[in-house]
Amino acid sequence: MILAGNPLKGKELEKLKQFLEKMDLEYDEGIEYSICILDDDYRIIATGSVEENVLKCIAVEASCQGQGLSGIILSNLIQYEFEKGRVHQFIYTKPKNREMFEDLSFYTIIENQSILFMENRSTGFRKYIEKMKDETPSDALEAGKKIGAVVMNCNPFTLGHRYLLEQASLQCDYVHVFILSDKRSFIPAEDRFRLACEGSKDIVNLIFHKSSDYIISAATFPTYFMKDKVEASHANCRLDVELFAKCIAPELGITERFVGTEPDCGVTGVYNQTMKEILPEYGIVLKEIPRVKNAAGIVSASVVRENMQKRKWMEVGKMVPDTTLNYLKKLQI
Amino acid sequence: MEILKPAAAGTLESSDAMVTVEPGEEGIEFELNSTVIHQYGNEIKKIVMETLERLSVQNAKITVVDKGALNCTLKARVECAVFRANSQKENLPWGGVIQ
Repeated sequence: MILAGNPLKGKELEKLKQFLEKMDLEYDEGIEYSICILDDDYRIIATGSVEENVLKCIAVEASCQGQGLSGIILSNLIQYEFEKGRVHQFIYTKPKNREMFEDLSFYTIIENQSILFMENRSTGFRKYIEKMKDETPSDALEAGKKIGAVVMNCNPFTLGHRYLLEQASLQCDYVHVFILSDKRSFIPAEDRFRLACEGSKDIVNLIFHKSSDYIISAATFPTYFMKDKVEASHANCRLDVELFAKCIAPELGITERFVGTEPDCGVTGVYNQTMKEILPEYGIVLKEIPRVKNAAGIVSASVVRENMQKRKWMEVGKMVPDTTLNYLKKLQI
Repeated sequence: MEILKPAAAGTLESSDAMVTVEPGEEGIEFELNSTVIHQYGNEIKKIVMETLERLSVQNAKITVVDKGALNCTLKARVECAVFRANSQKENLPWGGVIQ
């Protein structure tokens, strides 16, 4: 028997959480759809879930393995994703499941001792790297250049973001700037990207890219988008940092990553801490740039959003460049 | 027919195949992953191409993950995916282009 929910709630959700715990997995709060297969006594024997374009929490009861239940689960999840129009899918699982998911036509992007990260396109990641190289001027790919990187959401682009880019640009020959592509921010991804480009177009050595699914996305760092609801200890960001350090940075010759300091110790604080630990292993230096403080206080995108809701345009204007201010005013009408 | 949006049909269970289609630009881009690719790879490709031709699909990305499906199953999954890609769920041309 099949049990499905968008997502499961109440007693059914409790049952699923217990089953996952038994299978040494944890239910992610961002899950939007789950399916379970039940036996004759209504016990869960197999399950899988979806969050955005990521298939996760997939498990089959040990005594029921080898009956093709994972195929049923995966077929159902893939069908769900396609109906949502999401063609590029990812799986977040344990390394021991590698063969099983390879059989179901998934391809490995990165693997470490505890996590295996796969996608349903044989050349997905390769193509992303090639696209980034196409966006990069050829002399920025030559050896001997000092190349930096900044990853930002820019929701919206503020003077704080600009300051970070200025600092990075002064210290490097070129700086790759990755603007997050996730759709769940207040301002659409296309607009965030455009405002970041416009607000810093006088800084000549910046190279802008869309972060796609491979840098701070629902797939690599799911808790980033729920940072208010998730405890820092569950930040779950190692995969993101490892993928960046091991597979992305070397392709572009990146040796420095710039971040703004995080005053609190929430999810983003843990992210910075994790980068501090992992990046040096791959020869990348993390540079923390103190946040800008001006007459209006510490410049932050969340403060800008608050002031915008209250229509305090004077306050907003102190923290964002004109390009962003004009955009926000239009948005409000 | 044109592929208007991504669609999937079929399953990854044994004796079935999962067929996914996406809009494409230049002709048919075909990708096959099969447990019996060495024995039946060419046969599977032939069936898929014939079915697409019958449905007059000229541009598409099509992926088949085959788990040992029979020809009739493959054909049905391809047809289903193409009609889903057109959001057509009723008035299907049974006996016409769907044979």
